[in-house]
Amino acid sequence: MTSAGWSFVAVAAQLLESREREVVLGDLMETRESAWRGFLDVLGLAVRRQLLLWKSWRPWLASFGLAFPGSLLLMGFSISVSQTYQKLVSSTVFNATGLTLGPGFTLLLCNVLLLVAWSWTGGFVIGSVSRRTVRVSAVLSFVPCVFCLARFRVESLSRFCLLLFMLPAIWGVHRGLQIARIKLSSALILAAAITVLTIPTWSRSGSWLPNWALSWPAWYLVVMAWRSQAIKDGKRWRAG
Amino acid sequence: MLGEFEYLLITAAAGLGENAYGAAIREEIESTAGRKCSIGALYTTIDRLETKGLLKTWMSDATPERGGRAKRMVRVTSEGVRAAKDFYDAVIRVSRGASWAADRAGSSL
Repeated sequence: MTSAGWSFVAVAAQLLESREREVVLGDLMETRESAWRGFLDVLGLAVRRQLLLWKSWRPWLASFGLAFPGSLLLMGFSISVSQTYQKLVSSTVFNATGLTLGPGFTLLLCNVLLLVAWSWTGGFVIGSVSRRTVRVSAVLSFVPCVFCLARFRVESLSRFCLLLFMLPAIWGVHRGLQIARIKLSSALILAAAITVLTIPTWSRSGSWLPNWALSWPAWYLVVMAWRSQAIKDGKRWRAG
Repeated sequence: MLGEFEYLLITAAAGLGENAYGAAIREEIESTAGRKCSIGALYTTIDRLETKGLLKTWMSDATPERGGRAKRMVRVTSEGVRAAKDFYDAVIRVSRGASWAADRAGSSL
């Protein structure tokens, strides 16, 4: 196998898990495959592995139940937060005694907290529910962003206001990949905080659907943490 | 009941005994069955058979001829032997009366 061919195979092998990558590259080296066949073999294995993952409900939930619709809704909410901020800035006045904040400050604060909490919990669930398909979830989340960025036509706002949710979401995905579950107490506080922060929108008709579409990941984390604690308690009880 | 490729894999691994690992099983299947065996088919089938309890696999030490990389060793479990035997018996039973099987029996006498 030539070194150039070998480097293509090694790049394709990055799609495999580290243990399997070592085994497969070792097999190819031992059997002195051609670079082309080795490349196809590695790619074939990576595709088969991905397809097998999609037999479970988890990647479907993470990608099509959360990443795709979540990014669309969070982009809308990011714009809403930006507009609230703009209104607040235009109504805020400086006078001799100091800064007088406009009436929308509390609403803005609630919305910013809600945006961060929704984005973080959504990202966390995407990262923890289906780690090995997180790249597909990332693509499905970026596609609507690219589409909306290209068609954004609000004069007074920068198009990057659409992406306010991105940083907390990426942070959530990162944490989800690292720890998979959070403590029951933290999950409960987070879910309760999100629910309380949505209260001001309850009076608006038509807002319950996006609210719940973005809030369910927080309650999902509560259920997962509760299940995990129940399993631990059960083991401790049997051991005791 | 095993699939055809699962049977080939178990039989090749059983024949190789202590030396059964990915590359060796692949070569054995290709040389005896006369068909191409992709790495994808091999390792996903090994995983499936291991999940069913018909194979057991573990990582060996790294070897220099493989560029310092480990092998995935394979051993057929007693359940695997039983499943392969059941498959073989079924093939023999279903083949009775088939012209090619009768010819083969005649030629071997």
